[in-house]
Amino acid sequence: MIKNAFHKFADSTKAQIIFFAAYVLITAFGLFLLSDSVIAFLVLLLSILILYYLKLNVRIKWALGLLIIAVLVPFAASQGSSYQSFMDVGTLVLIYVAMALGLNIVVGFAGLLDLGFIAFFAVGAYTYGIFGSTQANKFMPFGHFPVPGDAFWLFIPIGAIIAAVFGILLGIPVLRVRGDYLAIVTLGFGEIIRIVFNNMDHPINITNGSMGIPSIEPPSFFGIPIGQPSQFYYIALVIFMLAIYVATRLEHSKLGRAWKAVRDNEIAAQASGIPLVKTKLAAFAIGASFSGMMGSVFAAKQMYIDASSFTYLESTIVLVMVILGGMGSIPGVILGAAVVIILNNQVLTSLSTWLTQLSASGVVSVPDALSPAKMQRFIFGILLVVFALYRTKGLIPYKNKKVDAAHLKAEAAVKTSQYEEHPEAEGTH
Amino acid sequence: MNILEVKNLTKKFGGLMATRDVSMNVEKNSITAVIGPNGAGKTTFFNMITAVYRPTSGDILLNGKSLVGLKPHQVCHFGISRTFQNIRLFNEQTVIENVLVGMHQRLKGHWIGTLLHFPEVTREEEAAKVEAYKILQYVGLEEFVNESAGNLPYGAQRRLEIGRAIAAKPKILLLDEPAAGMNPKETRQLTDLIHDMRHRLDVTIILIEHDMKLVMKISDYLYVLDHGELIAEGKPDEIRNNQRVIEAYLGKEATQRG
Amino acid sequence: MSQIIQLLPQVLVDGLTLGFVYAVVAIGYTMVYGILELINFAHGDIFMTGSFVGAGVLFTVMSMGFMSSAPTMVLFMIMILVAALITGVMGVGIERVAYRPLRKRNAPKLIALITSIGISFILEDAVRFIADWTTGNYIITTRPLFQHKFTIDFHSVFPFFNNATFQGSFLVVSIVTIIMLISLDLFVSKTKWGIAMRAVAQDRETASLMSINVNRVISVTFFIGSALGGATGVLFLIQYGTVDPYIGFILGIKAFTAAVLGGIGNIRGAMFGGILLGLLEMFAAANLSTITHGAMGSEYKDVFAFIILILVLIFKPEGLFGKATIEKV
Repeated sequence: MIKNAFHKFADSTKAQIIFFAAYVLITAFGLFLLSDSVIAFLVLLLSILILYYLKLNVRIKWALGLLIIAVLVPFAASQGSSYQSFMDVGTLVLIYVAMALGLNIVVGFAGLLDLGFIAFFAVGAYTYGIFGSTQANKFMPFGHFPVPGDAFWLFIPIGAIIAAVFGILLGIPVLRVRGDYLAIVTLGFGEIIRIVFNNMDHPINITNGSMGIPSIEPPSFFGIPIGQPSQFYYIALVIFMLAIYVATRLEHSKLGRAWKAVRDNEIAAQASGIPLVKTKLAAFAIGASFSGMMGSVFAAKQMYIDASSFTYLESTIVLVMVILGGMGSIPGVILGAAVVIILNNQVLTSLSTWLTQLSASGVVSVPDALSPAKMQRFIFGILLVVFALYRTKGLIPYKNKKVDAAHLKAEAAVKTSQYEEHPEAEGTH
Repeated sequence: MNILEVKNLTKKFGGLMATRDVSMNVEKNSITAVIGPNGAGKTTFFNMITAVYRPTSGDILLNGKSLVGLKPHQVCHFGISRTFQNIRLFNEQTVIENVLVGMHQRLKGHWIGTLLHFPEVTREEEAAKVEAYKILQYVGLEEFVNESAGNLPYGAQRRLEIGRAIAAKPKILLLDEPAAGMNPKETRQLTDLIHDMRHRLDVTIILIEHDMKLVMKISDYLYVLDHGELIAEGKPDEIRNNQRVIEAYLGKEATQRG
Repeated sequence: MSQIIQLLPQVLVDGLTLGFVYAVVAIGYTMVYGILELINFAHGDIFMTGSFVGAGVLFTVMSMGFMSSAPTMVLFMIMILVAALITGVMGVGIERVAYRPLRKRNAPKLIALITSIGISFILEDAVRFIADWTTGNYIITTRPLFQHKFTIDFHSVFPFFNNATFQGSFLVVSIVTIIMLISLDLFVSKTKWGIAMRAVAQDRETASLMSINVNRVISVTFFIGSALGGATGVLFLIQYGTVDPYIGFILGIKAFTAAVLGGIGNIRGAMFGGILLGLLEMFAAANLSTITHGAMGSEYKDVFAFIILILVLIFKPEGLFGKATIEKV
């Protein structure tokens, strides 16, 4: 009975639309009323995942998804005092999704394990951090800094380009290294970048060393200063859309096929005419550019950066997003990033607060050492191991794009070429 | 006219001499077989032609131009494609994507064009898919078009490798034991396919094969390697009666079987 | 220049101490890589766990009244044996639970690497949690066990050298390391298990055809590598007095660098690579500031190690003593 009803539901577009609309409206209304409830916020976000599985035209799905993320979520959350903190989490999710999409190109498509990926984020962040504050005055022979807030927009492409250049500079020597060594070399590179940024206050003060760069200029939009998380949310959203567009377009292009060919079999890929180093470099550079763009946004949002935001732990967290979601799977990676950030910034902190309250009221005694917010590594470690062992393909496994065979057959029949049907090979199997 | 000339090709791995002083002339549009017992250096020979290994000494000339020192993908650009003894497909990709990867170097579209929706890139991509489908029809795999390559049955995987290799429109096609693991029916179809490719695709074929029946049936010319050295060459009939070959290769094989 | 020469004796002593630690940890990496072609990221954390187990044993024994007056040497032996045993068993357990299932289903290397990163994180936090819970602080400091100071009088023999001073612990670390290195070398070259280990490293399939129980050999490898790593953790604790749950990460990468330097899979190479890296690093730490006229100080010593790693992997991936391998096509 239930199974039958489920199948009916799965086949009926109309029923699905009604269900989805009802779900979205109810949860949005719920968040509107229970404006400070994290759970209501999460339940509303869950609608995006439901949307993904609905049987609808892809374009309609995109439009609906964008509508929910860009309009409905901010509006429904706007009533409570947690509005800015929700939008802050939302911005972080978007930042990390874009980064995870970048890493997914490197790890998921091209099969190159990069354990220092956060370095590119750092490069983007420091690029805006240095020039968007008085820091640049300390070593630049000309010009007056900080640059005005309107120039921030320029730093998004600049961050992308500089990160891509770093990706290429790292890649040229490193990509000649054999597969599993690459992991440790990129890890080393990530640490080098961090240590260098942490110590470049002498002999020339470029990064202000471990003191970090304070008072980074907030961006401004035609003179309107942008400082609220709810405003950064929209900047991050635009870059996030760009990242999704680039990743999905490239995935099934000539370059995307070359990446996957290199991942699946390097020797056969080369024999098929794919230049190995160039293809891998493209993955490094394009993946890095996503991080570079978001780095600039991050610096502007935080208004303060130092090297401690760009540790190996951060690189691994981005990796967890990719593994959790599903290597090579764009929807998976988006889900993975959202889950990890929400887990890290909402669920764990809420749990910790709750446990502290319980301990304070004497209900249970949980040692401070076990506070969930401190157990990040443990939790991410478990996630990595469990997914690697039991669900290697992640939450939403990668699916090959199918071609329309009937259409191709019709086209092939019209077009003549040198391959005519082979009389003997026909009709086997 | 010789399309490929191999001159005194030698490869040493440390102290081991994998091939020694091998020379060959391959006529355009011919089917040439390289045979010899296991470990004779046949695959090493292919690997040198396709630049997987760099020869210790000697030269390889394609239409008079040396291939030594090129990268593997450049050799493909020059017009040499190959299949592998131990099948090397892109297992996670679909069958048609495997063929499309084979067309890689012929596609002009740049990824920036893909991002900006340049109409010529879109058109090229569409045309490429149709052509890839035709290639699949040609090698008899169109029913598997959307299947993951890794899920194909063994014989079909071998044919997909051939499909991927001819997608590059090579001048020379190297087949490394194409019939290995095939049943008699599949082998017969393969024989026909090889024959047909030579004429229809205007390609020169060099193959390594252990199936003597197949080799003798389709080859115009044979080279016999043993312990890295060329011990005989000639037309199938000459090789069949060559005493040295019988001793080194067929004889040994026969005693092993007997 | 003269300043650099003056400091050389002290650099030598400090570099050797650090180098011994790297050498033994590097062996763990090289043994596992030699057999499984896996960079076992968790190995650095096994080392770290060993140092905490050592500290735990020390605290426990000291709190038992009748043992607190036991001779230092006895105490030290107990620490090192318990740590080696526990980490050895842990290593075997990790291999069983996390790596063997992947090997069985022939998973890509990338997946095994990722698993080992996960294990490394789990260990770091588990140790932090236990230490924090039991002592109230996850950074552990122990009282020095061998604190007698020695001075080698280089200056009176070679006037251009300064004197080098070291603690008694340096002698202990050196002697124990040398004993471990020699016994391991004998084990691998002379015993049945050692020979089986080398056979499996060379060709797993053929070895299994020769009726070698490959899984058991891998377990033994993990036990020995991890036990040595754990024991070295205790040596580290004795020498430096303070440990935290995150020491394993950087030290692990450096030890891996040492293993690569000596040619991965090559046990003697790893020993040599470790000592070389320790010396180079201490030399850099002591002299970078002098050499660059203050532009870079000892804070760049980690960068220095990473740069060595990257350079070796790019230009001489087979290491100083390894053989270049050819991928089979």
